[in-house]
Amino acid sequence: MQRSAYVALHEWSQKAFPVIVRQRAKSRGSPWSSRCYSVVPPALDSEEKEMLDRILRVDHAGEYGASRIYAGQMAVLGRSSTGPLIQEMWDQEKKHLEKFNEILAESRVRPTALLPLWNVAGYLLGASTALLGKEGAMACTVAVEESISEHYNSQIRALMEKDPERYTELLKVIKEFRDDEMDHHDTGLEHDAESVSNNNFMPQYSVQYTFFPPDLGTWILAT
Amino acid sequence: MAALLRAVRAGRALRGLGSSKYGPPPAAASFDLVAAPAAKPECVSVKRGFRCAALMLQDESKSNKHVGQDPTAGTTQGESTSNTHADESTRANSSFQDESEEQGEEYETEEQLQGRILAAALEFVPQHGWTAEAIAAGAETLGLSSASAGMFNNGAGDLVLHFVAQCNSQLADILAEQHKQVQLGQAEPKKTADFLRDAVETRLRMHVPYIETWPQAMSILLLPHNIPEALKHLSTLVDDIWYYAGDRSTDMNWYRKRAALTGIYNTTELVMLQDSSPDFQDTWIFLDNRIQDAVNMATSAKQLQSTGEAVVQGLMGAALTLKNLSGMNQRR
Repeated sequence: MQRSAYVALHEWSQKAFPVIVRQRAKSRGSPWSSRCYSVVPPALDSEEKEMLDRILRVDHAGEYGASRIYAGQMAVLGRSSTGPLIQEMWDQEKKHLEKFNEILAESRVRPTALLPLWNVAGYLLGASTALLGKEGAMACTVAVEESISEHYNSQIRALMEKDPERYTELLKVIKEFRDDEMDHHDTGLEHDAESVSNNNFMPQYSVQYTFFPPDLGTWILAT
Repeated sequence: MAALLRAVRAGRALRGLGSSKYGPPPAAASFDLVAAPAAKPECVSVKRGFRCAALMLQDESKSNKHVGQDPTAGTTQGESTSNTHADESTRANSSFQDESEEQGEEYETEEQLQGRILAAALEFVPQHGWTAEAIAAGAETLGLSSASAGMFNNGAGDLVLHFVAQCNSQLADILAEQHKQVQLGQAEPKKTADFLRDAVETRLRMHVPYIETWPQAMSILLLPHNIPEALKHLSTLVDDIWYYAGDRSTDMNWYRKRAALTGIYNTTELVMLQDSSPDFQDTWIFLDNRIQDAVNMATSAKQLQSTGEAVVQGLMGAALTLKNLSGMNQRR
């Protein structure tokens, strides 16, 4: 009886594995994910696989960078009154990063090779803007979150254009994260980010130009 | 045009390739339907003529489907005569059948045909080496003209790359099967070092039948126009092995692990070329040692890091103690 159960399980797992025989010549022989349920649908051809790869790689790099920015800010402002606020936002970013780590691992997506660069650059950006005080840190947050939200929005648009049915799960995840980033953006605005714009030195614009133009940035992030 | 088609079909009938598929009346009727779209360009050269013939065949099979329920009749006819002809003819029938289901995928048909020729050509590699002669000999066993080797622009490079891709997908299948076994609880998961060693050994053993001519194959892969695809195959192979070994890293370790395994694989492959021990024992010992080196290096790196952290902690503690002792920490 155990044997038949094993056989049944084997057959079920056979059907459930998203192996596409005909495309083996074009794509790799192994199934895209080892689990039956995954956020990302198994790609039908190498073109779609590449598109999904880029999207996921850029998002992963973005969350990683955001996490490092908050780490930099915490290093400077951790013991001040804004510490808990930054910590809270940082924790949310960490959760996002974890989710993307999961997705990358199960979809066998290559992480970006520029991670060490984002590691250092993010930390420096966070630390340097935090040195300008609470307003500077909040301005940095506003600018970064704005860029990230814009970026997520364009991804959502692209996926919706292609096939909303197919990417339901992935769209759900991206929408949820985009909403979180918008929250951070609004939090930053609440906490006196605007007051910095009255100064001559405008850190939030310098941050925005760091991520501008989006296509170039995406291309760099997707390397 | 019409005469060329008839000649090709007659030739095919003689060689028994899919001839039984087309019973006289439906084929004659469909032929007229085919004539219009089949204004395939000037099929002058043999190579293009061959390709055109393949396209004609597929068009005919498509229009046969449109005309009547011929495919089913054709298939049964095909199967009955397959006993007298090589298995390739039925496979050709069913593959053309499958292809006719798709929309206008002539490229698929040619790819499949090329795959079959290259697979047949592998038999002749020990004899002719990795050359166009082997491909020609392989084509002849399939009943095609030896000139069809001209279909391969890259000649020997195509053959070698096809073999490499085939080996890689075989390995991926084996690893997936093992993975399934472990997930079903029917097998014990192996330790990473053992897994890597077994996977690389399995993969390199696929070279054994061709080991005499493998240096030639490797040099072909190093030709500039073959390098990109060879590297792609290599990276796919290494990624597959690490994935099934359980690597789920998403940081620089992803790159480090694959780089290490690539180095191990390449050096072991080279050692295998010069190994004359029974069953390549020396190669597997070499492989074992290299994997142990990699594991040791990883362990040492981890130990170094934790030691470094401990040292930093110690120094910070010492500095704090000094500050306290010297009274710098007191508030007055």
